[in-house]
Amino acid sequence: LNRNIINTFFLYPLYQLGNPQLRIFRPSWFLTLVRPGKEQPQDTVQFRIPMEMTKYDIKNYLEKIYNVPVGVVRTRIQFGSNKKRNHLNQKVKQPDYKVAYVQLALGQTFTFPDIFPEKERAPAEGSMEEMQEKFMEDEKQRQKLDPRRGGVTEWFGL
Amino acid sequence: MAARTRLPLLFPRNLFPFRSQKLVHTDVSVKEPAYPPIVPSLTAKSKSARRRQIEERVKKICTSSVEDKLSLITRIQREKFVVYPQTFARNADRWYQHFTKTAYIPGLPEKFTPGLEKTTAAVPGIDDDAFADIRSLVTRVILQEHWQFRKRKPFMYRHQEQVVGPFLRSLVSGLTYSLAKYNPLLQLSSLDLSPQVNFYWRRGQRIIPKGHRKRHLEPTRFQIDDRPHSQIRVTQQLPQFMPLEASHAAEVPEITLRPNVMPLFRRQYDNNIFTGAKLPDPACYGHTQFHLVPDRYHRDRMIRQQQADQVEVFLRANALASLFAWTGAQAMYQGFWNYEDVTRPFVSQAVITDGHFFSFFCYQLNTVALSVETDANNPRKNLLWGTESLRLYESVQDGEVVGLNDGVVKLLVQFFMNQP
Repeated sequence: LNRNIINTFFLYPLYQLGNPQLRIFRPSWFLTLVRPGKEQPQDTVQFRIPMEMTKYDIKNYLEKIYNVPVGVVRTRIQFGSNKKRNHLNQKVKQPDYKVAYVQLALGQTFTFPDIFPEKERAPAEGSMEEMQEKFMEDEKQRQKLDPRRGGVTEWFGL
Repeated sequence: MAARTRLPLLFPRNLFPFRSQKLVHTDVSVKEPAYPPIVPSLTAKSKSARRRQIEERVKKICTSSVEDKLSLITRIQREKFVVYPQTFARNADRWYQHFTKTAYIPGLPEKFTPGLEKTTAAVPGIDDDAFADIRSLVTRVILQEHWQFRKRKPFMYRHQEQVVGPFLRSLVSGLTYSLAKYNPLLQLSSLDLSPQVNFYWRRGQRIIPKGHRKRHLEPTRFQIDDRPHSQIRVTQQLPQFMPLEASHAAEVPEITLRPNVMPLFRRQYDNNIFTGAKLPDPACYGHTQFHLVPDRYHRDRMIRQQQADQVEVFLRANALASLFAWTGAQAMYQGFWNYEDVTRPFVSQAVITDGHFFSFFCYQLNTVALSVETDANNPRKNLLWGTESLRLYESVQDGEVVGLNDGVVKLLVQFFMNQP
């Protein structure tokens, strides 16, 4: 029982003629923007969404809350594997999740940013790290064999 | 006195070794040893053997008749992308341009004068009286469908099929028959209602990621199965709009992503190549196609939902795919295929309508060699000309058609009058 869910419905909100338009204010659904595994076109953004959301829910969510012009949304459910077994030989299930591919309207594009860029680790001058780096490099250089031997080990020879 | 030598009873062949003619010193012509050509094997499990197999197959197809060519090319069934001409995918026209190597040129070729002038300037071959006749025919057809027939309200999402379909059919047949006296090509033409047009081709390749054929190169195959509302097939080919060499400069969008991202789906079934009639039919060249827009295409709804650009994209993608399939099938019927490229351009026209808005498109097929091997040095590109949607009439009120656009009628007439 997940007590954090706020917009749970007892039964799904069954519509009957005359009912007011169903509106959800402050939904307890959260989208996760993910980097696409396979190459996607420039205007496609990939989200992981809760299972209960539909294409229309995502369209309205992004348009009303975040003012993002949405063209078309396609969803699919990714099956989480049930194959792995733990130390007691019981099957361990990875959770299923829903993925949405949102294509933006009005010619907008989006590329997933590089969150973990490569840092140039140049150690500061005169510090311990620099001396250690230099020492390690010298050691490695000493361990290497004579390059004129062409990779042949020391054991062959006189 | 003869010397009596002791000759043997039986003469061996070599008895007088120096007496034969063969040892006389003459300039004997030296025969060069003739070896058979050294070619790679046909049945070995090697890359050169595979290449030779493909070459043999290509030679076999080149030397066979047209029916055999078609059946050999479409014999093997494998998974292919099914391209639907009427698709709601976003930016479908860019994708289809990439699949068919087509460049889009906005506007129509110079042959068709801009059709938005209000004056009834003379269409070549038609004088003003005839044009007035055509105009009255068009108004009659519009009134018949929308005013005179007591139709019940069409079913949900069946408006195009039940109202616009019959209107377009009567319009097209009326125009064909009345313009046949000015255009001799139409007298020998065939007007098909709801024909099938199919085309199968290969373009691009991918590396198979998984399975027993992993790391092999596989060509991407495409198939179009189209059902235009109606089409006119003629016995002679229409003249080209632009010379072949002029298409080298055109730009075709390059897309490096796989087609299934578009989204486009793969299936395996019969590979068909069909223009609308079987091979021995004399009317094997195409003239004009007419397409109806599907019922789920709501122009106003798309504009409201900030997808105004997709309105034209849909029509362009439809025209592109349908006309490419038709012209490609026409070229195949003449024996041109992937390894034997077309020697003359194949030209067809299309009109896409939803009853009120008409869009006109012209297509010129300059190359059918789209697969990886033949496309490497192929500078030719196919060309598509197209207009934006033009309104034919504003509305029908009190038995009168209000705001009939003469420019659109003129363009329609020009399309019908196109002849070599």
